Amino acid sequence: MQQETPKQIRFVGKLDPDFVQKMWRGWKKVKFEEEMDPQFAEKVASYPGCNTLFDCIQCGTCSGICPMGSFMEYAPRKIVGMIRAGFKGEVLTSYTTWLCASCYACTVECPKNIKITDIMYALKQLAIKEHMHPRRLPIPVLARQFFEIVKKFGRNNEGKVVINMYFRTNPLLPLRNLIMGIKLYLRGRIAFTQDKIQNIPQLTKILNTVKM
Amino acid sequence: MKDQHVHHFEHTDVKVGVYVCHCGINIASKVNVHEVVEFAKNLPNVTVATEYKFMCSDAGQDIIVQDIRSGKVNRVIVASCSPLMHEITFRNATQHGGINPYFFQMANIREHVSWVTAEKEDATVKAKALVAAAVHRVSKHTSLEKKYFPVNPNVLVVGGGIAGIQAALTIANAGKKVYLVEREPTIGGHMAKFDKTFPTLDCAACILTPKMSQVRSHPNITLWTYAEVENVSGYVGNFTVQVKHKKRYINADTCIGCKACVDACIGPENIPDEFNEGLSYRKPVYMPFPQATPSVVIIDENSCYHFTKGGCPPDFSSKNGHLSPQLQSLLRRANECFELRDFQETLKLTKEILKSSPEHQETLFLHAQTLYQLGMINEATEVMRNVMVKERCVAACPKGSVDLYQTEAISEIQVGAIIIATGFKTFQGERTTQYGYKRYPNVFTSLEIERLVNASGPTGGEIVLRDGKTKPKSVAILHCVGSRDLHSNRYCSRVCCMYSLKLAHLIKERTGAEVYNFYIDMRTPGKGYEEFYEKLCHENVHFIRGRAAEVTDWVLSKAELGKLVVRAEDTLLGMVRRVPVDMVVLSVGLEPQTDAEEVRRKFNISCSKEGWFLERHPKLAPVNTFTDGIFLAGACQGPKDIPDTVAQAGAAAAEALALIDIGYVEMEPNTAFITEENCSGCRICVALCPYTAITTDPVKLISVVNPALCKGCGTCVAACPSGAAQQNLFTDEQIFEEIEGVLEYV
Repeated sequence: MQQETPKQIRFVGKLDPDFVQKMWRGWKKVKFEEEMDPQFAEKVASYPGCNTLFDCIQCGTCSGICPMGSFMEYAPRKIVGMIRAGFKGEVLTSYTTWLCASCYACTVECPKNIKITDIMYALKQLAIKEHMHPRRLPIPVLARQFFEIVKKFGRNNEGKVVINMYFRTNPLLPLRNLIMGIKLYLRGRIAFTQDKIQNIPQLTKILNTVKM
Repeated sequence: MKDQHVHHFEHTDVKVGVYVCHCGINIASKVNVHEVVEFAKNLPNVTVATEYKFMCSDAGQDIIVQDIRSGKVNRVIVASCSPLMHEITFRNATQHGGINPYFFQMANIREHVSWVTAEKEDATVKAKALVAAAVHRVSKHTSLEKKYFPVNPNVLVVGGGIAGIQAALTIANAGKKVYLVEREPTIGGHMAKFDKTFPTLDCAACILTPKMSQVRSHPNITLWTYAEVENVSGYVGNFTVQVKHKKRYINADTCIGCKACVDACIGPENIPDEFNEGLSYRKPVYMPFPQATPSVVIIDENSCYHFTKGGCPPDFSSKNGHLSPQLQSLLRRANECFELRDFQETLKLTKEILKSSPEHQETLFLHAQTLYQLGMINEATEVMRNVMVKERCVAACPKGSVDLYQTEAISEIQVGAIIIATGFKTFQGERTTQYGYKRYPNVFTSLEIERLVNASGPTGGEIVLRDGKTKPKSVAILHCVGSRDLHSNRYCSRVCCMYSLKLAHLIKERTGAEVYNFYIDMRTPGKGYEEFYEKLCHENVHFIRGRAAEVTDWVLSKAELGKLVVRAEDTLLGMVRRVPVDMVVLSVGLEPQTDAEEVRRKFNISCSKEGWFLERHPKLAPVNTFTDGIFLAGACQGPKDIPDTVAQAGAAAAEALALIDIGYVEMEPNTAFITEENCSGCRICVALCPYTAITTDPVKLISVVNPALCKGCGTCVAACPSGAAQQNLFTDEQIFEEIEGVLEYV
């Protein structure tokens, strides 16, 4: 791939740094075919319920209805379009999938019955598998910690999840939320003692069967 | 029948000619044709076996003709393509040679062998087996004749929209008699509701009403409105149709449409007008719209006092003065009791009054009402007859056309062809809940807007909000409501983009409002359609590429206060937009009529999965159905705009004329027949026959096949437990011989 940097572009006279920056951004908008992953769409579609993504007519209903859409860098419609085009890097590193609140509004409204929320889950799984998810974003960490605890004890423990998450993302944040934490504890919303289910080996067996 | 030189040969005299076709390289590249010919020469009864490059060519056919004429062969086998391709070609050649065309048998060694077999050896073996099967079979063939049936020259057109009108006029102009049956009180259909038509913007009424009145006055057209087809029996060329004339309570032949009855009617005036999509109100007696054809009023039995309350309320004002105060107080008490639903008491009081003043109308009326409420309807009717005042419409009608005791009538007609033009219905806006139709008053469907912009509509062409006076300053038109949506209809309704553009233009022109079109894809394929879209772009109509996600009154800014907000992603810009508007128009899609399934069954035709009537072939027989003699026109076959509908109606009329003009129908002789001595009269075949071709002979108590109706499907043959049902060209003998032929040489 030959990608010229702006430095190699010759200009007469002095370069305006602002202009160079804009040029650079504009240049990055050109997507070379060799940067794409032609198998990416097939890969995502192989997840259960995700082959519906080929039905997309890019009508934008999902993006229009999405309550989190305005915080995403790529709205759901774009994500589906990018998957089909093979923008693997952009899709898997984006925050969009992690911002999805799983409200299922898009799935309900989609005129082609595309299971967009399921696709988001597939992308989350793929991103973790390929180690491409945003590292210090609390959401994937929270999900992972939640799963680890449930896997181990069969029940969730809010206190543990929150503390584990903070130490893996921003260790200073708990100090700011300390008072809220104490209040939650006093009202019985957070417990620090771990509940367990009776037959943990059976749960482990189930989880092993589904290869988690 | 037409050929004079038909010879009948005995089975012992069988001389089979086998002709193997190369079909260029289609067959010859896979099948060793020469080997097949050599093989065929050794088969029983074969006198001639030869090969040729293209048997279907004139030269190829000539070989067959010469061989028959020279007496070398009297049975013909052509091993070539499928019967669908060339069976008729070779049958004609066989007949041309001088023997019965049904002494020909085809062996399909192209579609069934060379095109689908991988190995050359396998292909040759299979070709040999098929040729052997045909040689065996053809010796059992008998001489058959085509059947001819006369055709009734009349045509029935079902549905009086633009498709039905066009088809009826075309046939009537050709000098044939047409029955046009419409179930609404007037013809005109959906087109009569439109103001302008895209893309030329010519007024719908100006081009439709002349055609409507032409239908009314045409000597060859019998127009029956407010009538429905009740039953269809018979077969191509000879249909018997029963038409039910619904109760209109007006004698349609004498009514002159003066509307004196409408003026006189004192019935409720708050009944939503169906023609105006409920945007205006009408009386129980009404004319659907001013240009209705025929110009005949109709009485709605669901709201007329005659049917709901037993009669028009009498005029009390002048009579009360004659009553003594005592009677008056009695009457008041009776009225009060009636109000309190104490009917027994009311009855007692009214009887008391009637004793002293027997002609008093209010009392009589009250009496009748009480009886009616008590469920004594016959007595109530009897009393009502005594109320002196006639129903207002009856009294007002100068021609005596009002007939409140009209009954349903059935007409039976004989026709040769039927054209179905039952049209479509629009999608119900409330089914897409996210757009808030019927929840927010200012969400309209496109058909409502069509009525609003129409100069003869409820507002006289003023586009106003649901309050009836405010003009909208901004309008959103949402495309694809009920189309391209797996929740409702999967298909594209084809006309919505164009009519949305038309409405956008009309709204812009009449109100100067900002118009926003929310579309998924702009589909403007048609003559002058793309140019119309360009014109709209120049008119500064906003086009937002994105399906509207929702319509809400949830306000996020000051500008949105008191407005409806359309939320959608502008997919071309990649941004979510909130557009506050005064009026939302849902461009609803087209759907099959609710009773399409019922109609389908009545006429014995097919429906597609969505409910549109199915054409015989989407490209080569677009107006034919799978039932011979029944044709389709217009949107009952699929969403269509007016030009396409009219074109298709013309095509259906031409097909119907082609059928009735020749005067007879030709039938293949491959029909089923019942061997009388074997039939036990179990009637299994009667119930199974999909074409209702089998009936039971009332005297002999055995089944009889009507060869005109039989399509030769073989269902009865397979089902008959005693083997009495047999089919020409597929008798047991022939089939077994064919199987033996295959097995013997494989």
